[in-house]
Amino acid sequence: MVTTITRREFIKSAPLVASALTLPAWMPRLAFAPAQSAPRGDTLVVVFLRGAADMLNVIVPHGETAYYAARPTLGIPRPDDNRAKSDLRAVDLDGFFGLHPSLHPLMDSWQAAQLAIVHACGAPDESRSHFRAMELMERGVDDERGPASGWIGRHLATLDTGNLSPLRAIGLGALTPRSLTGTVPATALRSITDFHLRGDPRAIAHMRATLDALYTEGDSLNTIGRETIGILDTLQALNPDDYQPSASAQYPDSDFGMSLRQVAMLIKAEVGLEVAAIDLGGWDTHFAQGSSEGLMANLLADLGAGLAAFHADMRDHADKLTVVVMSEFGRRTYENGSLGTDHGHGSAMFLMGGNVIGGKVHGQWPGLAEGQLIGPGDLAVTTDYRDVLAEVCLKRLNNPAIGEIFPDYQPQIKDILRA
Amino acid sequence: MNLSRRDFLRLAGLVASSAALSACTAVYDRVAPLTEETTGLPPLAPRDFAALNRMTFGPSAEERERARRIGLQAWVEEQLAFDSIDDGALDLRLRGYKTLWQDADTLHSFSDLLFDDEDRATVPNELREAALMRQLFSRRQLYESVVEFWSDHFNITTEKGDCFYLKTVDDREVIRPHALGSFRDLLWASAHSPAMLTYLDNQDNRAGTPNENYARELLELHTLGVDGGYSQSDVMELARCLTGWTVKEHFWRGQFTFNPDWHDKGIKNVLGMKIKPNGQTEAEQVVEHLAVHPQTARFVVTKLARRFLGEESADLIERGVQVFLKTNGDISSVLRVVLLDGLTSDRSITPKFKRPVHFVTSALRQLNAQVNDFGPHLETLARLGQLPFNWATPDGYPDRAEAWQGNLLPRWQFAFALVRGETNGTTLDLSAFVQSSDPAAIADALALVLLGAPLPAAQRDSILSAMSDADTQTELPALLTAGILASPAFQWR
Repeated sequence: MVTTITRREFIKSAPLVASALTLPAWMPRLAFAPAQSAPRGDTLVVVFLRGAADMLNVIVPHGETAYYAARPTLGIPRPDDNRAKSDLRAVDLDGFFGLHPSLHPLMDSWQAAQLAIVHACGAPDESRSHFRAMELMERGVDDERGPASGWIGRHLATLDTGNLSPLRAIGLGALTPRSLTGTVPATALRSITDFHLRGDPRAIAHMRATLDALYTEGDSLNTIGRETIGILDTLQALNPDDYQPSASAQYPDSDFGMSLRQVAMLIKAEVGLEVAAIDLGGWDTHFAQGSSEGLMANLLADLGAGLAAFHADMRDHADKLTVVVMSEFGRRTYENGSLGTDHGHGSAMFLMGGNVIGGKVHGQWPGLAEGQLIGPGDLAVTTDYRDVLAEVCLKRLNNPAIGEIFPDYQPQIKDILRA
Repeated sequence: MNLSRRDFLRLAGLVASSAALSACTAVYDRVAPLTEETTGLPPLAPRDFAALNRMTFGPSAEERERARRIGLQAWVEEQLAFDSIDDGALDLRLRGYKTLWQDADTLHSFSDLLFDDEDRATVPNELREAALMRQLFSRRQLYESVVEFWSDHFNITTEKGDCFYLKTVDDREVIRPHALGSFRDLLWASAHSPAMLTYLDNQDNRAGTPNENYARELLELHTLGVDGGYSQSDVMELARCLTGWTVKEHFWRGQFTFNPDWHDKGIKNVLGMKIKPNGQTEAEQVVEHLAVHPQTARFVVTKLARRFLGEESADLIERGVQVFLKTNGDISSVLRVVLLDGLTSDRSITPKFKRPVHFVTSALRQLNAQVNDFGPHLETLARLGQLPFNWATPDGYPDRAEAWQGNLLPRWQFAFALVRGETNGTTLDLSAFVQSSDPAAIADALALVLLGAPLPAAQRDSILSAMSDADTQTELPALLTAGILASPAFQWR
């Protein structure tokens, strides 16, 4: 029988191992900050829309004439625009803003006041570069000089919740998102069934014993190796095929739907999941993005159906769950000549959960008229994305170490969530 | 019993740097007596092994032998002159992929099925299999490594629109002919590449309301870099220069064409240059300017250093920039400086985390695997997140360890499936490496093949104890091979 080092033993020995003297410079440092202790808060699900989603067509300012002037072809018709078929019009939220019609499944959570929107939200960076913007946003910093770890990674590192699960943080997909980078290892999980070892029991036993002998302690790779072995053990008994979502929630048959379904399953199985990061790509719609129908409408249908199913499925867990949807920046107010939109600035965020102050569009709307736009014609940012994330950390994740999570920023709490 | 951190560091240090060797004498002493007779492989200094691992998709016995015989510097020169390396055996194998040599129009007709449907799988599958076959079996290993570098730098996914067949043309006519040639020619070809113009939406860039997508990435990702000193206005003005650069849709489908009706006829200002109205040549003037811009030189050399050395040493980059500028961007000359200074000098080699492609190819190459079906390996790469030509965003597959480290399980599954003979179309002959029935000697021999150095005794014993019930003749070599492939040490190059 091979002895397995438990995670608890490992954590105990880690600070000893991690002394700077023994680490060559190239090795990712394990700098264990003195952790705050607090019971764990909500499970956080962060959905990142990669490619700069056109939030002006997601949460449509149908009360703005400037919106329709800038988007003669791409604009989403007003909720009362009789010239458009009713299922192609914006779904009114508050008389000024409306949801893209593909997002109508989200109206249940909106009406239950469990969905909030923060409009004209974003980062100060104005490079309009996807890669710069995503990197800074996922690191939660103003410029390259900030810490290299991700904001979620620093949240995990600064809070001791007593949770030693190898599934404390996962990225859904093959690569680990930058936001999860840090001293607490985050595993990439494409599907739970990947973690089911099948075949000859003797061969599996050899593989397990070998991996146990190989992955021991020390640098981040060894740590992730041990976590992965731990996940193998944890997930053996979970079969996604047997999973029955509550309230007959229907997840879309897509990667995104699969990801949310598995997150729901992990939450209900109580395996210690605290943070799940999900990437959803395809939002860089310079060309033929469509309006109420088309390319982007299809992406939104996936997003809306997925989130709505998750909301229904997690009804009994809503009080301990916060979902954040974000993107690196918004898109130009006026459409380009190829029926698309170019890179802009102000974006928006969605928050979903039992303690969201929902049914409301938060934030100060800067307007789309001449003189209200910035740069080449972009929505201004009136709420820094870190104001929102800091409030999530403070009120829902029990983490007061905001100065470490967002080191060069003083967040303002905008009361989007209940403590 | 577990491997101690000290042992792991010894191994990492050994593979990592010759400077560390003196501190690891215990291990080094054991390297020396291992000879061709005991291992079947020519002895090679661990540092040279590490260097070869950077310039190949995993050093095979042939490269090890060649580098040992002529020396690493001469090996680099030989590889840079890739045209004179005979690759006939590979060329013969590649002939099976008919679509590699077809023009865009033919590729499109081929994919065009009846009833308005398209076969969007055959052409990109052949391209992916060919890429993997070349990485595994080309004797021009450095050239293929540079091809991979530019395929990331000028990233195009086959999943966007007509790129599913246009990328085959881009690979053949843009990336491969210029990979070790002139950066200016490479950039010029890429700018005129129908695949690139489609991927970054320039094929529909028209006067009045220009599409900025390609213009921005041309500045940000292909030449100057995000800190290269351009502004939003430069992006918009360059987009105006590029209006009308498009791709034919009907006759000669998939060819580059300039549509003067879509072109913005006004004066433009790009990077302080006043561009007079002159049709297609306006953007070409900017491309020429960007190709030899000092900021482009710095951006490209820094990326090359990061890819091949895993670090960005300021003095080395400075020398690379000087060569870039002096030779008008001769890629071969720039790479010579980076490789000779970075890998064949006595500078220490910083370990670099293997991306999935390198993990898979190095395992197969170093074990001299016979591969007759590339499909299962492409499936592994998909699970690992690095299927060739499948990265959606124009930045190319990440070159950072943290992006890849969280996904170890598919690597382990690959390793164990490989040795169990469960990978369809791939066979191993481990007996070629194992001349002894002593478990420790078997472990040493296999580690030398895969890691370039024997395992530290403690780690070796620890692994062997996990396999104590395995039979020594067949099971043990297989399990040891899988164990080393799955080990932390093999994840670094």
